[in-house]
Amino acid sequence: MNNNNKQELKLAASTRTPVSVRNWRTALEKWKDFMFALPAIALLAVFLYYPLVNSFYISLTNWNMTRPVKKFVGIDNYTYLLGHEDFYQSLKITFTYTIMDVVLTLAIGLLLALLFNVSSRFYAFMRGIVFMPYYISMVIAAMVFVWIYNGKYGLLNRVVAMFGIDPVEWLINPSTVLPALVVVSVWKGVGFAMILFIAGLRSIPADYYEAAAIDGANRWMLFRHITLPLLSPMTLFLVITTFISSMQVFQSIDIMTNGGPLNASNAVVYWIYTMAFSQFRTGRASALIMIFFVIILLLTALQWFISRKKVHYEG
Amino acid sequence: MKTKKKWMTTMMAGGLALVVTACGSGDANNGGQSSANANNAPAPVEAAKVVESTEPITIQYWHSHAEAQMEGLNYMLEEFSKKYPHITVEPVFQGGYPDLHKKLQAAVAANDVPAVTNVEVSSLPTFGDSGVFTDLTPWILRDNTAMDDFSEGMINAYAFNGKQYGFPLIVSTSVFVYNKTLLDELGVQPPQTWDDIDAFNEAVTLKENGETTRYAFSVPGWDAWYFDPWMINGGGQILTDDQSASAVETPESMRYIENFYKWKTDGYMHIGYGKGASDNMRQMFLGGEIAMVQHTSANIKMYRENADFEIGVSFVPGDVKRISNIGGAGIAMMDGASDEEKEAAWKFIEHMTSAEHNIKWAESVGYLPTRKSAIDSEEGKQYFERWPQYEAVFEHFDDVTPRLQHIAYPEFRTHYIEVIGELALNNVDPATLMPQAAERINEILADYE
Repeated sequence: MNNNNKQELKLAASTRTPVSVRNWRTALEKWKDFMFALPAIALLAVFLYYPLVNSFYISLTNWNMTRPVKKFVGIDNYTYLLGHEDFYQSLKITFTYTIMDVVLTLAIGLLLALLFNVSSRFYAFMRGIVFMPYYISMVIAAMVFVWIYNGKYGLLNRVVAMFGIDPVEWLINPSTVLPALVVVSVWKGVGFAMILFIAGLRSIPADYYEAAAIDGANRWMLFRHITLPLLSPMTLFLVITTFISSMQVFQSIDIMTNGGPLNASNAVVYWIYTMAFSQFRTGRASALIMIFFVIILLLTALQWFISRKKVHYEG
Repeated sequence: MKTKKKWMTTMMAGGLALVVTACGSGDANNGGQSSANANNAPAPVEAAKVVESTEPITIQYWHSHAEAQMEGLNYMLEEFSKKYPHITVEPVFQGGYPDLHKKLQAAVAANDVPAVTNVEVSSLPTFGDSGVFTDLTPWILRDNTAMDDFSEGMINAYAFNGKQYGFPLIVSTSVFVYNKTLLDELGVQPPQTWDDIDAFNEAVTLKENGETTRYAFSVPGWDAWYFDPWMINGGGQILTDDQSASAVETPESMRYIENFYKWKTDGYMHIGYGKGASDNMRQMFLGGEIAMVQHTSANIKMYRENADFEIGVSFVPGDVKRISNIGGAGIAMMDGASDEEKEAAWKFIEHMTSAEHNIKWAESVGYLPTRKSAIDSEEGKQYFERWPQYEAVFEHFDDVTPRLQHIAYPEFRTHYIEVIGELALNNVDPATLMPQAAERINEILADYE
C-alpha cells in the first residue's frame, strides 16, 4: 500500500457518514426497486386487485347493490351457477363465438397480410382501408350493422335479394345471430391482425427464403416451412389477445341483440351484466365473474404451454 | 430472478392486506346496519315535521327525459324556481331507464345519491324493498296531499308494501293504435271484446296465395308489459294470490296465448319479437301491412305525425276483465339524502305532479295526465279537443292498473316472455313450453324466500 492510498483511507475515515444515516441509505437502496414501482402498484391495487378481491367477497353474499346488508351465503352462488344449464349454455355460446372470431380474424388477417405486404403507395392505401374499422368505436359500428342487418329495410337483404335469396331476419333468427355478431368483430379486428402479421413477415430474414429457393422449395413449401413457423410468436400473441377479447364480447351484443333472440347470443359477460343490473343479482353475477376469470386464466395458460413447443423465436 | 420473487411476495402481501381490509369493512357495515334495524321497531307513520327554511339549497334530479321532453321539463323547472327561489334543481340526464337504474345502484353503493330521481314503474318494488327510496307518507300526511285526485291505478303503482315510494310522473299504458281510414273503408270497428276479434280478423286480414299481406293486428312479444294485460283479461294471473308460485301455466292464464297461437297460425295476427321488432312493427303499420298495433300510448303522437292516414286509438279488448297496465316512470325521493334535501325534494315532487301543471306537462312530454281534477278542468277539455285519440284511454282511466309488484318480477318474467318468443319466431305451441317456464319461475321464487 503506497502513501497515496493511505491518505485516501484517512480522508474516507474522516468524512464517514454516521451509522444511522448509512443504515437508512442501505434500507432505501434495498427498497429502491419497490419505491420506483410504487405508483404503478398503488394504481393496480386500487383499480385491479381491490375490485377483484372485493368481487370475490361479494360473490359469497346475496347482495343486490342497493340493499345495505350483504348476507353471507357461502358458496351458494357458485353451486347455483355450476348446477344450472343456463351457465353451460352461455359458456357454449361464448366459446362458439370465440372460436369463429379467432379463426376468421387470424385467417383473413394473415391472408390480407400476405396480399398487402408490398411496399407501394397503392398497397399502403389498401392497408389503410382495411385497418380503418379498427379506429371506429364498437358502439357506432354496431349501430350501423343493426341497420345493415335489419330484416325489413336492411342493406344486406337488398344484396342477398340480388342472388334470389329470401330476406333473412339476421339478428332475430337464433341461427344467424352469432355469425352476424362475429362478422362485425372480424370486420373491426382484421386490420389489426393484418398489420401485426405484416410486421412479423417483415422481420423474417430474406436469407431463409433464398436458401430454401436454391434447394428447390416451391412457394407453398416456403410458406409452410419458413413463413408459418417464424410467424408463430406473432400468431401466439394474436391468438391470446383475440381469444381474451372475444371471450369478453359485450358491446356489440348490448347494442345489436340484448342477448337474444331466445338467449341465442347471451354470452357470459352480457349475462353478468343483465344479472347484476337488470335482475339485481350482484352476488351471483360476481360469482360468475370469478368463475369466468378462472376459465380465461386457465385457457390462456393452456394456450401458452401448448404453444411453447410450437412457437419458434428467431435467433 | 431473485428480485422477481421479492416483487411477487410484496404484491401478494399487499393483496392479502386488501382482502383483510375488504372483508373487515364489509362486516363492519353489516354489523352497523343490522343493529340499527334491530333498534327500529315498526312504528306508526307520523306526519313529517315542517322544515321552513329559505336557506339556499341545491338538489339533483336524475331523470330519463329524452330530448323531446326537455322543453316541458325546462318549463317545469322555471315555474319551480319562481315558486321556490331558494331551491336550485340540477337536472341530470342519466340515459334510459336501465342506465338510470344502474347509476342509482352505483350511487347507493357509493353512498352519494341525488335527492330526487325517476324510476321505471316495474323496478319500484326492488328499490323500495331495499330501502333506496323514502316512504313519502309523512309528507303526504303533513301537507294533506289529495291522493284521491290521482288515477287509482297510477298512484297505487308507486306504492309497495303499504308505503308510498313515489308519484306517477310520465305515465303511459298500452293501447291499440289503428288505421282509422282503412277500418272506416272496411266498415269495421276495433274489437272491444275478445269475442269481436274473430270477425275483425276475417274482415281486415288480406291474403294472397295463402300468404298474409295485411295482418289484422299485432301484439308486441318483446315485453311482458304488452301481454300481461291479455293474461289478466282472460281471467288468468302471473302468480298465485299469495305470490308464492307461478300461475302462468293455469288454464285461465293460458287462454290468451292459446288464442294468439291460433290467430298467428291462421295468419291473422303478427307478433313482434327480438331487437328492432318495435321499429319493424311501426314500419309495417305505417306501410299498411298491419291494420292495428298494440303499442305504448306514449307513441300516439309519433303515429299521428308520421301516418299518411287517420289514426284511431282503442283500449285493449277485454273478456273476463278489461284492464291495461301502467308503464313509464315515476318520481321518487332517495332515502340517502339529507333532511334539508328531502324537504326540497318533496316540494319538487309536489310541483312536478301538481294538478296545476298536469295537462301542460302531459301534453309537452306526450304522456298521460294523472289528475282527475286536471282532466275535468277547462284546460283538460281543450286538451281532449286537440288530442281526441286520448279519449279512449281516459274512458278507462281507472282500468289502467299497476303491473305485478314482486321484487323478482324483472328476473322471472324473462321465462314466459321466451314462450311468446318461441311462438313468434318458430310458431311453437305455447302449451308445450309454458309448464317449463312455470318451473323456472317457481325456482326463482323459491330462491327469494
